[in-house]
Amino acid sequence: MTSIQGILIACFVVAAILGSIAFRTRLACRLLAVLLCLAAVIFILFPDLTTAIARLLGVGRGTDLVLYVALVAGIHAILLLYRRTRDLERKITGQIRAMALRDAQHKQQ
Amino acid sequence: MVIPTFNENSAVLRSTLTDVVNSGYSAVVVDDGSTTPAQECLHGLPTHCLRHAVNLGQGAALRTGCELALSKGACVIVHFDADGQHDPALIERLIAPIIRGDADVALGSRFLNPSDRLGVPLTKRLLLRAGIFVSWIFTGVWLSDAHNGLRAMSRKAAGQIRLEENGFAHATEILDLLRRSRLPWVEVPVAIHYSEYSRGKGQSVFNAFNIVIDLMLRRLFH
Repeated sequence: MTSIQGILIACFVVAAILGSIAFRTRLACRLLAVLLCLAAVIFILFPDLTTAIARLLGVGRGTDLVLYVALVAGIHAILLLYRRTRDLERKITGQIRAMALRDAQHKQQ
Repeated sequence: MVIPTFNENSAVLRSTLTDVVNSGYSAVVVDDGSTTPAQECLHGLPTHCLRHAVNLGQGAALRTGCELALSKGACVIVHFDADGQHDPALIERLIAPIIRGDADVALGSRFLNPSDRLGVPLTKRLLLRAGIFVSWIFTGVWLSDAHNGLRAMSRKAAGQIRLEENGFAHATEILDLLRRSRLPWVEVPVAIHYSEYSRGKGQSVFNAFNIVIDLMLRRLFH
């Protein structure tokens, strides 16, 4: 095992632990986080595996395939987060509006 | 009359409101989380004053004010800027088509009268040209002006046009909702007074980019 493999595996083990703590209340997310980290560790240990899959899909190198997948996943994550932020914003707006209107009613009475 | 305000100069705000009240309109001031509550400088003026606990944006403030106005039984609701760039004398002409029943929404435009147009600074004029185009792309409504803060709507229209964009993108969102509601609308020529003060408070070019991005994301998530 080369040193980069050791470093990456250590990172993913930490990620798996953190993810599993963060999603304590949601089993599906927790499982997904752990499984993804497990897959990452397997690919790190057997790099030829990614190359084999890449060839199957018509991509030259395994690392390229990993890059593409990571890019798509990253964009997806940003959009999902954005939608949640917007949802949150809408809820907060509703609350603050209700508060403002209630205060106005109070003042009148 | 719904007047959103955020960290407005207290003297300017007070003089705007005094003009509005003296013209005989009822005013709803929505203080969008200003550092010093707007109410402090409105003592003695018969206005409804609302306050957002935190700053949400002009779109959100307009909707809050609109809801209060509707609950008080307003027949016509006017969006009016607090920075003194609008003249209350314009209101009568603006709401005339609504009172007559010709339209449910009246949008102020700086570009219908040549003399009004010259009152707009050149850079602003160019930016607004782009704004007109962007509004058209997103809403399919071609106007002679974009993001003019002075507009009026009937009670019926106000009930249907419920803004969800908290920021300045609301001005384009209104057109979108307007088109969907299929309510009749008109443009009314208005003159805007650009003072040193109101120019400083206005939107910058950078904000225009923000608005476009907000609108694109809105398309994406609706």
